Amino acid sequence: MSIALYGAARTVLEKETLLKLPFVNVMNFGIAGLIVFILPHPLTLVAAAAYFVGSTLEANAIASAIARRKQE
Amino acid sequence: MLEEFGRIVVATVIAWILFLSIDIFWRLPQKGGVSGADAIGTAISRHGGDRNGGWMMGNIICSPDASAGTLLAACGVFVAGIPGGIAAAVLVYVGNRICHDKGYAGTSGALIATFIIAGCMQIGFMASDFIAGMVLAILTIQGLSHTHASRLIGYFWRWRA
Repeated sequence: MSIALYGAARTVLEKETLLKLPFVNVMNFGIAGLIVFILPHPLTLVAAAAYFVGSTLEANAIASAIARRKQE
Repeated sequence: MLEEFGRIVVATVIAWILFLSIDIFWRLPQKGGVSGADAIGTAISRHGGDRNGGWMMGNIICSPDASAGTLLAACGVFVAGIPGGIAAAVLVYVGNRICHDKGYAGTSGALIATFIIAGCMQIGFMASDFIAGMVLAILTIQGLSHTHASRLIGYFWRWRA
């Protein structure tokens, strides 16, 4: 319940320049926690982990793509 | 209600100390592990932050590290007790391999967090407190001020190195 507020607040706060990714990361933490809070079931853990790993992978892809663009 | 608030604050402090010490133990601030983490670290240091702290923040973002391990371990203990926490550690291990991360910070963090959370549950905490606490802890590191958080991590890192 309280987690929902944090996740939402972070989404709003996510208005930064190139350094958005840490805020998105905070939001992902909130959502992964929310998934487990809403559905307390053992399989939910797999869903939360899959979501979180996917989100970090995505953040990594975005950041490295930006890094590669800068090098050129 | 007030009691729950107090428990969450204490859980935040425990989770904060736990994941920061494990990350620094596994030398996350030493270098940007993957190219994305490197880029985030350089971007943060360009905006006046600390370079080592920025790398560690980049590593936290780009791969499941001890902070993610603590969160998922808390979730695991919440849904299934200690076996759930160990399952979370396995999932974090798989996640680390998917993200091409050679470290073991996430896996060890999840295992240590499982037992700390299970221990705290014996003295009246609830696993849900740790889920909330971990989200608050990551908020203080990643979500408030990149500059100050990275300087704080850099300070801890120089103290360790």
